[in-house]
Amino acid sequence: MNEHDKIRELLALAAADALTSAEEKRVAEHVRSCIACSNEWEAWRPMASELRRLPTPQPSSWLLQATLARAEAKFTEQAEHDWNRRVVIFVVAFAWLLTIASWEVFHIVSGRFERLLGPQFSPTSFRHTLISFAAFTALEWLAGGVAAVMLAIRQRGERRLV
Amino acid sequence: MAVDADVVRLRRGDLNALSELINRYQNRLYRYLLRIVRQPAEAEDLFQQTWLRVVEKIRSFDASRNFDAWLFTLARNLAIDHLRRIRPESLDEPLANSWHSENVVDRISSKDRTPLDHALAAERRTEISEAMAGLPMIYREVLTLRFEDEMKIEEIAQVTAVPVSTVKSRLRRSLEQLRDALEAQYPGGRWQ
Repeated sequence: MNEHDKIRELLALAAADALTSAEEKRVAEHVRSCIACSNEWEAWRPMASELRRLPTPQPSSWLLQATLARAEAKFTEQAEHDWNRRVVIFVVAFAWLLTIASWEVFHIVSGRFERLLGPQFSPTSFRHTLISFAAFTALEWLAGGVAAVMLAIRQRGERRLV
Repeated sequence: MAVDADVVRLRRGDLNALSELINRYQNRLYRYLLRIVRQPAEAEDLFQQTWLRVVEKIRSFDASRNFDAWLFTLARNLAIDHLRRIRPESLDEPLANSWHSENVVDRISSKDRTPLDHALAAERRTEISEAMAGLPMIYREVLTLRFEDEMKIEEIAQVTAVPVSTVKSRLRRSLEQLRDALEAQYPGGRWQ
C-alpha cells in the first residue's frame, strides 16, 4: 500500500479527530499536494460536522422524576439492608460474648456448688449439669436463629407489598 | 471537578448528589441508550435501570477513575443484555426506520440564521439520523460516543471494553458505512 492509499484510509478518522498529531501532519501534508485526497477530505467534512450537530433527544421530566424516586427508594433500601447487617453482626457477636461469659459464670458457680456439696458430690451429676447447660445454650441459639429467619421472611413479605 | 465531588458525596449516601448526577448526565445518557436500542420506551426503562445500578455499585466505584466511562459502561452492559434478551439479531443487523419515529426533528435546537438554513440543516440531520439508525449497533455506538458525546478514543475503548485500535477501526468503518448509506439513499446529492 503506497502513501496515497494509506492517507486515503486515514481521512475518515481525520474527520473524526481521531488521529495522532504525527498522523494529522502526514494527512495535512498529503492533502495539500493531492487533489483526489483533497476532494475526498472535503466530502468527509460536512458529514462529520453534521454528526456533531445531531439533535439531542431529551428525556421527559416524568422519566427524571420516576428515576429519582426509584433510585432514592433503592438507596433507602440499601441503607436499611446495611443497617440490618450491622445489627445482625453486633447481635451475633454479643450473643457469642454472652455465651462465653456464661460458661465462665457456670464454672465459678459449679465450682462453689461442688465445694458446698463436699466429698459426696457425684461427678456424673456434674457432667449432667454440663450437658444440660450445653443443650440449653444450643436450644437458645436455635430459637434465636428460627426467630431471625421468620423476621426476615416477614420483612421481605412486607417489602413486596409496599 | 464538580462531578467528582458529586460522586464522592453519593458514595457517602448523599441523595442530593444523586439528583445532581442524574440532572447532569440525563441528556447524554438517554441519547446514548436511545442510539443503541432505538426505541424510546426501551431507552427510558434502561435509563432508570442504569441509575439503579449506579446506586447499587457506587461503593465499589474507584473515585479516582473516570465516572463518565464507568456510567456508560453500566448503561452499555444493561442495553446489550436487553438487546440479547429481546432482539438478539439487533446487535449485528440494521433495523431501518425505527429510531426516526421518535420525532427527533421536532426537538432540534438550532442556531442557524435563516429559516431556509434551518430547514436545510434539519433535512441534513434527518438524513444522517435515518442512515445512522440503519447501521449495526457497534457502529451506531461508536459514532454517538465520538461525535455526540465527544468522548476521547481512549474513553470509548474503556466503555466498549476493546483496544484503542479496534475503536479506530470501528470508527472508520462506521463512517464509511454511513457515507455509503447516504450515497445510496440520496444518489447525486450532497453526500457524494
